Amino acid sequence: MTKFIKPEIQIKSKLEAKSKKRYLNGISSVLHCHHFITLYTQLAMDAEETNLLEEVAQDNFYDVLNKYFVEHNISDLQEKAEISCQYYSVLGLGTIDIKYISESSAEIVSKNSHIDKGWVMKWGNNDKAVNFIGRGYISAMLSVILAKPIGTFKTYEIKSIVKGDNETVFKSIKK
Amino acid sequence: MAINRKKIIDTISKIEIDSDENGLISNFNVLINQLPTSLWNDFAERLVLKTDESLLPATEGLLVNAAQECGYHTGYGIMGSELWASVVAPMANNVEDVLHGAFAVLTAMGWAQIEIVELIPNEKMVARAYDYYEADFVKIGTTDRKNAYMIRGICAAFMALAYSGEYDIDGSLVNDYSCEQVKGIESGDDYGEFVITKTIVDY
Repeated sequence: MTKFIKPEIQIKSKLEAKSKKRYLNGISSVLHCHHFITLYTQLAMDAEETNLLEEVAQDNFYDVLNKYFVEHNISDLQEKAEISCQYYSVLGLGTIDIKYISESSAEIVSKNSHIDKGWVMKWGNNDKAVNFIGRGYISAMLSVILAKPIGTFKTYEIKSIVKGDNETVFKSIKK
Repeated sequence: MAINRKKIIDTISKIEIDSDENGLISNFNVLINQLPTSLWNDFAERLVLKTDESLLPATEGLLVNAAQECGYHTGYGIMGSELWASVVAPMANNVEDVLHGAFAVLTAMGWAQIEIVELIPNEKMVARAYDYYEADFVKIGTTDRKNAYMIRGICAAFMALAYSGEYDIDGSLVNDYSCEQVKGIESGDDYGEFVITKTIVDY
């Protein structure tokens, strides 16, 4: 039996000298705080546009992960899955662990969440799940890992830290 | 000693942004994320375009407010940090120096290549941004809508930190100043220009 050796994600971060823009693995990126991300999330909820926030996250994270795997010539499923989990943490979004991924569904567990923790720090617990950006990331990650078109999966939170659960559980289902 | 903007940018731009074992980045008393700029731009652009014209001022106001609260709380955290104490504080002799230093830090964080071009203490500030990610959503041509909601919020927040008295953790002073964007790279100007003045409250 072949033993799987955990890959280590490679990150190059720099502030471009002329434009003073920050790049993470060649992608224009910016440092923001939990106030900013939770207020954008609250705005999406107030405007009843949480699907938009989720979709925008999916679009952008699909590009981020796909670019990485193309540039590093990675096609192995397990390697893509491991790197995707590490990338989530590099972005500061928390941790995710894969319970399982099939061709049609997946369950992903997050014991630490930037958005949930930030929300609780700012406003306390909430009666509804709020991690729409995380859902978009999970949907994007599944499409990239399984080499499916973007938008193949829809992700839900069946447990949520912000609601008082001890972990967030994302459930993804093929549309 | 006057503020040495280049030295501040050179020093702070070299700091490492690493997440801990929980995948979280804690710094300046806040949790930090480093997401693609296109994510923020896409959401703002698509939300604004979907919003009914009558609700547009409120939606744009909330986009600005997100940055204003971010700028107020994170800005305060930055000014209380060891990094600030070692790099900026030795150059700052008064509130105006602090503001110039804060804008250098803002540039080093990758928010915008921005500096203060006019400052009347307590009253008015004009800032110019020669490059900023919020203008990047336009790939060809120009747009009539000026979209630098994040810069507007940050500029107004920094003015409040400078001139609205003691920092208030509840954020009651966040909106003491307002910022209007009068020029924008996205609209065909050579730079973005931002005018910050005391908020006028209608009773």
